[in-house]
Amino acid sequence: MENFKNSPFVKKVGFNRIVLCGVLLVMYIAFAIISPTFLSYSRILSALNYAYFLGFLALGVTFVIATGGIDFSIGPVMFCAALIAGRLLTKDGIPTGAALLVCVLVGLVFGIWNGFLVAYMGLPSFISSMASMMLAKGIGSVFTQTQTISWPQSSDASGWYRSLVRMKIGNTDVPTGLLILLVIAVICAIILNNTKAGRYILCLGSNKEAVRLSGVNVKKWEMLAYVICGTLAGVAAIAYVGSYTTVQPGLGDTFNNDAIASCVMGGTSMAGGVASIGGSIIGVLIVSLLQEGILAMGFQKDYQYVITGIIVLLAVYADVRSKKRKN
Amino acid sequence: MCDYNKVERKDRDMGEVILTMKGIDKSFPGVHALDHVDLEIRKGEVHALMGENGAGKSTLMKVLTGIYSKDSGSITYEGKEVEFTSPRDAQDAGIVIVHQELNMLNHLTVAQNIFIGREIMNGKLINDAKMNEEAAKLFRQLNIDIDPKEKMGNLTVGKQQMCEIAKAISHEAKVIIFDEPSAALTEAEIEELFKIIRDLRDKQLGIVYISHRMDEIKVITDRVTVMRDGSYVGTLITKDCTKDDIINMMVGRVIYEDPKTESNVAPDAPVVLKVEHLNAGKMVQDVSFELHKGEILGFSGLMGAGRTETARALFGADPKESGDIYVNGKKVDIKSPMDAVKCGIGYLSEDRKRYGIVVAKSVAENSTMASMENFMNGIFINKKKENEIAKKYVNDLKTKTPGVDQLVVNLSGGNQQKVVIAKWLVRNCDILIFDEPTRGIDVGAKSEIYHLMNELVAEGKSIIMISSEMTEILRMSDRIVVMCEGKKTGEIDISEATQENIMHAATRRE
Repeated sequence: MENFKNSPFVKKVGFNRIVLCGVLLVMYIAFAIISPTFLSYSRILSALNYAYFLGFLALGVTFVIATGGIDFSIGPVMFCAALIAGRLLTKDGIPTGAALLVCVLVGLVFGIWNGFLVAYMGLPSFISSMASMMLAKGIGSVFTQTQTISWPQSSDASGWYRSLVRMKIGNTDVPTGLLILLVIAVICAIILNNTKAGRYILCLGSNKEAVRLSGVNVKKWEMLAYVICGTLAGVAAIAYVGSYTTVQPGLGDTFNNDAIASCVMGGTSMAGGVASIGGSIIGVLIVSLLQEGILAMGFQKDYQYVITGIIVLLAVYADVRSKKRKN
Repeated sequence: MCDYNKVERKDRDMGEVILTMKGIDKSFPGVHALDHVDLEIRKGEVHALMGENGAGKSTLMKVLTGIYSKDSGSITYEGKEVEFTSPRDAQDAGIVIVHQELNMLNHLTVAQNIFIGREIMNGKLINDAKMNEEAAKLFRQLNIDIDPKEKMGNLTVGKQQMCEIAKAISHEAKVIIFDEPSAALTEAEIEELFKIIRDLRDKQLGIVYISHRMDEIKVITDRVTVMRDGSYVGTLITKDCTKDDIINMMVGRVIYEDPKTESNVAPDAPVVLKVEHLNAGKMVQDVSFELHKGEILGFSGLMGAGRTETARALFGADPKESGDIYVNGKKVDIKSPMDAVKCGIGYLSEDRKRYGIVVAKSVAENSTMASMENFMNGIFINKKKENEIAKKYVNDLKTKTPGVDQLVVNLSGGNQQKVVIAKWLVRNCDILIFDEPTRGIDVGAKSEIYHLMNELVAEGKSIIMISSEMTEILRMSDRIVVMCEGKKTGEIDISEATQENIMHAATRRE
């Protein structure tokens, strides 16, 4: 066991993340035993629907958590983006491509706003992002006169955006959403680990003052984390409507919890300075599988929260313990 | 090397043994931190624990007070074998540590800090009045002038240290461990501290005194136990040994500390930094000075003289109200550390944990922190190049670390300091501000840092060195600026500097 723990591969990936992969696998097998429909391709695809948009939310918020901050506005921002773009698309007749761009732009604007408040105005992210959450909910509602917005179906001419999530090639459904999510995850991992931005984001999450006194423009890099986060919330909006097409105003905050829980499960530290993109993605897969599995077993959604809560606690506990042992 | 264990023990005014640590062994992944270390403390003695950085003194004390568990060995306290599982445990038994890094809550009052965890209650409510009274009593007993109702954050480091001691004493301690208590104190405060320590000793307490200051060891301690690289070297009776004996045991070489007698700076050396009428709050009032190329400009003064504040205002770390700064004759506008670094100024903070290093990051990542742009390959970090330069400076500065990928949190204080120095050397700054560069650093590493500073100025760099240690000021500086209560009160060339005229200026209150 010790040999396994100390092998270079395990050290690089992180022991806890390997355990987490194991948890994912065990969960899948358990669901498959209880409900054999889980062995079907379509069931897996349906579970993945939840993972796409949640994945983008979690990727984004990983950057913010890495700085030692938090963003409670991502879920509502995602909905706000989907509502605004959806209205422009369905009521005002802008082209689909433009609507997708609007999604990303709305996310970007919220990202800039949140980053500005935290990095330049010095507000605590906990409070400012809570305010942004309300703003996002309110703006989404006002813009749509509290109407539910239905994006076009695949059969419509303007429904091609759905193939960004799932594409029919021949007779098989290809989960294009998963491919896009993984590509963006790889890009995020590279940003976090191999660029100046990622380096400074992690460092300032660990000791902002020391980084500032090294002559680094900490405000800029801290803001960037929020901008990345907001933009990915905009991308998540595309993934969401691609999967589900309908968006209701005034909702979205439950996704914050799922996204943040995914990050924490994956080994990103709420204290900042430590983050894992791969861990966040595994966390997202676990949360999504739970969501699908619990519903499939005929339980209420509430059970999903119970189990997610327990997994988060266990993951954080394992992390804290391994850190203590190192000392 | 001779066998120091054979030195005969004198039981003069020392009482019976109160604490024995025998064969203490402790390993961390990759480091054998303690290798069968022995320590014996008697009642009524001040026992110095000495050793270079990373020799294992702090680790030994952490094992004693239950912060770390030992791998093997035994601790006998008051005749019984004990094993403390937490500092609280040790504290309840009467073993208290006065930490090198102060563990105070700045937003609480002095009294609240002293009684933290054992608040005096009035029913279900905290009885602040009673706590203030008790704290005042403690201070009177120790002859310290501190208002128990003052917020801890408003006190100077020296005063905070005194509170820490008062807190330790209030625990009815039988053994008190002082972990470099004098590192942040002024000469006068040290005198005060010694009075307190002697007083405690006479009350038959066992006192462990960890310090790097050789003079203090001779003055205050009865016996000295020396450690090196995690091993026990030996125990001496202080009175019977010389400074050189102790230093030899610590490092196996003799270090001479002679003051500098004349400036090494050429009379026509150009001015690289000129500060005019700098103002920043109460602590920096109308400060002007010049720094020449190749010069070490010492900043002397008592605690709270405004030296660090001056440096921080100059560096852009804190806002300044007014004042002009010229670098190489050109007026510059420094609004943030970013601007200062662009002007070629580097700042080594007195508080390296808070302002110097990112503990959760590696030696390499810390080393390149201030000069990332030189280690980029397009938008990607060139980690190979980064590791190479980090390795170079690990070798040059003799930083003790298993590798450049080691997290800085795992290094000892002196080695952390070297990583911060490496950061500014990698950046190749021409003007370096060293704020207490050897605070909490042992003799060996200290002389390495001195050597390094001399090399840097020989290369044409210029250094502002803030130091509270008189010997350090006299040994390193070419010229000395003295400050008192936010004002510059003296400027003395090294050829004319004496302890007396520096102290005179440092206490020149207007």
